[in-house]
Amino acid sequence: MMAQLARLAGSGASSARSSLGTDLSVAGLALVAVAILGNTVEEFTAFEWSLWAIQAILALSLVLIWGYGGIFSFGQAALYGIGGYTYGFWAINFADNTGESLTAVVAAVVVGAAFAALLGYFMFYGNVTNVYVAIITLATSLVLFAFVNSTSGSEYRIGDAPFGGYNGMTRIPRLTWRLPGGASHELTRVQFFVVCVAAGLLIAVGIRILSRRPFGRIAVAMQHNELRTELSGYNVRAHKLALFTIGGGIAAFAGALFAAWGRFISPPIFSLTPAALVVIWILVGSRSSVAGAFIGVLIVEGLSSWAGGADGNNEPIVLGAILIFIVLFLPGGVIANAARAWALASRQAANRQPAPPNSQEPAQASQIQPTASPVLDWMAEANGERSNSPIATRMVTKRFGGLTAVDNVTLEFPSTGVSCLIGPNGAGKSTLFGLLSGQYSVTDGQVLLDEQNLTKWPAFQRARQGIGVKLQVASIYKELSVRENLWLACFAMPHNRETADVRTEQLLEWLRLGEHARNPAGLLSHGQQQWLEIGMVVATSPCVVLLDEPTAGMTREETRQTGELVSQLGEWASVIVVEHDMEFVRQLGAPVTVLHRGRLFTQGSFDELSGDERILDIYLGRE
Amino acid sequence: MALDRLFNLGFDLFSGIAILLLVSIGLAVIFGMRGIINLAHGEFIMLGAFATLSGVRSGMNVWLAMLIAAAAVGVFGIVLERLLIRRLYGRLFDTMLATWGVSLILVQAVDNHYGSVTEGIRVPVGSFTVGEFSMSAYNLILMGAAAALTTSTFIVMRKTKYGLLARAATQSPTMAQELGVNTSLINMWTFGLGSALAGAAGALLAPLVGVIPTMGHTYVARSFMTVIVGGPSFIAGTVSASGLLGLVENVATNRFTPVIGQAMLLIAAIVILRFMPQGLTGRRDTR
Repeated sequence: MMAQLARLAGSGASSARSSLGTDLSVAGLALVAVAILGNTVEEFTAFEWSLWAIQAILALSLVLIWGYGGIFSFGQAALYGIGGYTYGFWAINFADNTGESLTAVVAAVVVGAAFAALLGYFMFYGNVTNVYVAIITLATSLVLFAFVNSTSGSEYRIGDAPFGGYNGMTRIPRLTWRLPGGASHELTRVQFFVVCVAAGLLIAVGIRILSRRPFGRIAVAMQHNELRTELSGYNVRAHKLALFTIGGGIAAFAGALFAAWGRFISPPIFSLTPAALVVIWILVGSRSSVAGAFIGVLIVEGLSSWAGGADGNNEPIVLGAILIFIVLFLPGGVIANAARAWALASRQAANRQPAPPNSQEPAQASQIQPTASPVLDWMAEANGERSNSPIATRMVTKRFGGLTAVDNVTLEFPSTGVSCLIGPNGAGKSTLFGLLSGQYSVTDGQVLLDEQNLTKWPAFQRARQGIGVKLQVASIYKELSVRENLWLACFAMPHNRETADVRTEQLLEWLRLGEHARNPAGLLSHGQQQWLEIGMVVATSPCVVLLDEPTAGMTREETRQTGELVSQLGEWASVIVVEHDMEFVRQLGAPVTVLHRGRLFTQGSFDELSGDERILDIYLGRE
Repeated sequence: MALDRLFNLGFDLFSGIAILLLVSIGLAVIFGMRGIINLAHGEFIMLGAFATLSGVRSGMNVWLAMLIAAAAVGVFGIVLERLLIRRLYGRLFDTMLATWGVSLILVQAVDNHYGSVTEGIRVPVGSFTVGEFSMSAYNLILMGAAAALTTSTFIVMRKTKYGLLARAATQSPTMAQELGVNTSLINMWTFGLGSALAGAAGALLAPLVGVIPTMGHTYVARSFMTVIVGGPSFIAGTVSASGLLGLVENVATNRFTPVIGQAMLLIAAIVILRFMPQGLTGRRDTR
């Protein structure tokens, strides 16, 4: 996993190209080897092996959506079944006339992807949690199982092709191709084998390409921190839907090959055992690497065909035992564990050498650069084009059940400059930020930016409109490297890879996090994590910057530097700071708004308010 | 519409809802209290049915056999919790996968032992008629049992010391531990209670359905959808979701076929979750 991410991390354009070259040559070599092997073994053996290649394609569909996107689906086998049945219907009805069955494969992919898209729409646009996705896909498979099982009557047919109920659909045509005007060719068993392997390798390379492209990086990002991804301006739901749809198409493609392979498909394809198998394959291999799909299938299917030779009935028991064993002892799969053991062994070997200088010096080196930086330039550029856009609330109220967290607050902030928002715990400050950024929907009232009513907008659209927020608890991608964190934020706004690459480096320099660029962000100190998140907010060139307790966990010196940074940002954007550190608020010298129990309490300059007895009262809880 | 026909339709509907509630309440306890997705839930139901079958075959009174079956599945649940589930709390997907493994093993093991087809047991009570319609008195017992089990689960959770501690351990495990609650033991009892309820459901269903090793699959999709549509306050949620989804399934089954009924239940559940992602009892205003 980490190795994968590390590889994702450092890839500039040129290295991406060369790793594509590596991928293609590995895939090409594998294909040549397999093709030679397929021609030397007996025809029937090659035919048997085709099934493994098909299953590897099915496994790849789950690697894509679970390994990269973090969407755990039990439904890949069901989509495989849908692909198989669609191929059957299409080929039985049309292959005699057209002399080829490739269009049937295309039909299978289209139907599978469409089914996945429909189901995915309801799941992802309903914002159900990941667990519910697992349950819904499982339930969908079981209902399909019951449905197809009940279709034995002759009234269940599409054209010439009956469903066949629990007996399944038989006499499905083999894979056949024909050039326009030419004769039609049915693939021999060895040819079919080579085609299956080639398709599997192509899809694997395709997934690797996708994983290096922004689409794949965003998928990994939303797996690690969905909220931050949304707040950076990415449409997380659309991304999940796209990923799930592609996965559905791949699974259905495998299903079509399966139907062409055995010339038969039956309802148990929708039952629990195949659904379990797909998961087991990539658990055994690795859920986050395409090689894992192939290795997992080889290990599990190899084992079970070996064990099944003795007594085929015990296959579910073997599968169940494998599942439990992996969950208890090998989380992460065979590949990851082997890699970890390898890394451990080589580290021990390295430890005998003199220790390398420690690259993780404490934080004193990382001071935010006070001088002008290109970072501020592109912020100025972005906001110079924008019209003056003050953010305002009009009588907003937010209730959580019986608790009124924000109560009828009307506020307006200037289009540039710093403002402070203070108030005792529970005053509604963070909730108000949530209402501005779109994390929460208002119970009543309006949120306006530049006279535009944003009240109903989802968070990612508000981010695109220029509202950036640093949350109270730093919300960063802890498992991803610092550079990846910044890159993801930089790519969000002008959707451009080159710009994002350049800006990432500028931000690293500005934040003085260059030496930590390759480390997971979770290893940074508290203060550095705060800066990183501020950097990620700045990366989207916002016109409104919401900072929720930016100095929490910082030393006095770090706090002072943060104050300078906030003032710099205030030249180009409306910066609203929630803070408990009154020294920091004084340093900012900005107008202060006081919230108390969800209501607007008072407003004024720091000096005016510091003499106000009532504010002392509410902070000390005196009525 | 004649009154007796109306009564018959209502009777049918409430039988369906009672069955849905029975097969869901055990799952709801385990999911609601411990956040465990027990994919072997259907197999717990199946075990309850097979245990009842074995008891009756060995000459036991059918009601006694049902009681013992529920208790036996409860004990089985406790053993499984100690051996396996205990190690996996807080690892959502891992529990799901491990219990799935358990499910696969149980189905095949029971199949190896009993075979895939069994003779059922007789419905222990007769029928009664209302107007032109004859109805099974056993369904009345099912409704009574569903109501009784749900009510007693509610009372156990609200009124007993175990219930208080269990709810405390759900809301804040660390705090409960700091206050000296043995959360591990509480978890064990919670899992046992949920398993016993699943076993009871299987026992009560045994006279009505084909007792076969894969019978759990019939219920697992339905019970999961019911529980997630129910949402966080799991007893009230499961009752209301059973009512709603039971109605949908019943109407579709009467109008079309049982399979369409199941499909409509699933579709209704997915549509409900699209607009109420936290279920019927979820707070809609947390986002």
